[in-house]
Amino acid sequence: MIWEVFRQNQAGDYHTHCGNVHAPDREMALLFAEVQHGRRKPTNSLWVVPQEEIGEVDTEDAKFGGTTNKSYRFARTYNVEPAAEEVEASEKELTEAERKRGEA
Amino acid sequence: MNVEETKARASPREFSPKDDLPEEYRKAATRMLEFHANSEIMGAYLERPFIRKAPSLERKMAFSAKVQDEIGHGQLLYRAAESLGVKTRDEMLDDLAEGKGKFLNCFHYPLESWVETPMIAFFVDGAAMRRQATLKKSSWEPYAHAMDKICFEEGFHVKHGESILGELMNGSKKEQEMTQEAFDKWWPRILQFFGPTDDQSSHHDFAADVGLKVMTNDELRNAFLNTYLPKAKKYGLEIPDEPRIRENDDGTYDVVEDDLDWDEFFTIAKNDYEPGVGQIEGRKHAQDAVEWVRNALDEQEAIAAGGQSPQAAD
Repeated sequence: MIWEVFRQNQAGDYHTHCGNVHAPDREMALLFAEVQHGRRKPTNSLWVVPQEEIGEVDTEDAKFGGTTNKSYRFARTYNVEPAAEEVEASEKELTEAERKRGEA
Repeated sequence: MNVEETKARASPREFSPKDDLPEEYRKAATRMLEFHANSEIMGAYLERPFIRKAPSLERKMAFSAKVQDEIGHGQLLYRAAESLGVKTRDEMLDDLAEGKGKFLNCFHYPLESWVETPMIAFFVDGAAMRRQATLKKSSWEPYAHAMDKICFEEGFHVKHGESILGELMNGSKKEQEMTQEAFDKWWPRILQFFGPTDDQSSHHDFAADVGLKVMTNDELRNAFLNTYLPKAKKYGLEIPDEPRIRENDDGTYDVVEDDLDWDEFFTIAKNDYEPGVGQIEGRKHAQDAVEWVRNALDEQEAIAAGGQSPQAAD
């Protein structure tokens, strides 16, 4: 049985997929994940998930974000007075996300 | 996808288990990965005795960590291999035990003396890492992912090997002589690590066309020599006169192929070389000795899957 492994670097971080292990049950999967994936890189926590329990939808089946112009939902569309600090930070994140979407 | 479509799409990390790949691709990728995985395992068995034989506690601990890493790399690569759907992990491990699984030429030779350890831990691992770094761009995504983790860990192996070499070559005259002797013995094998020259290599064309590998044997050998030849000299090792190595004006090297023992190389490639046969047998014994562990795990898996625990009839 194959278990997908997700590692969290430190408390508060997201668990990120880092590999998989063979194991007969959850307890052993956690042990093997610890040995294979939690030994060298900073690790605060590991998740193991049976591979067949993972569902997936990808760009072949879905149009993530739709196919029409959605500029109205992006902060940079709106030219107004200089924004408050946290609003500007949000805009930066949005711009970055949109740029990456364009690259993909 | 047919072969032509696969070649057209081939690029780094392009294909994953979700893709419908032609059998030719899956077989070629399995052959590469299985060879790589087997090599990790056989290399680990070769170095394992040096956990005991190493001359200091630090070296023992480093060898222990290294051997553990290599076994882990084998496991990662078997995972990347079996996801191609050609062979299961068990089949590959059994083939290795039965002498059918192929692995790196250098791991068919005995490793007996401490002065020999940097020949593997520095030169062979250095050569391997040079190759592995290029495989981060392999078209089989699970292979590239395994390389991310393997290269992350391998840096320690190569530097640890270099540290041993530096220590020996700064040691007593006797240590220096013994290390030179080991180098003379291992150098031709290390040059053969990258296989025959491109015009003699049988598997390269297809593997390159579908993006499984991105550099040829010759390019990798050159890249290795560019870095490791000066390093060997820097530590005071004399490069043997044969095999002859010609340095070209463009920074590339030509190794005179006729100076290398290709009969021995191809005997090794068939798993018929005597010391290598012993090393395959040695691993088989180790695998047999822990069969009860694998059986216990399989039993546990059956129970976890909702099956019945087998009756204790035996």
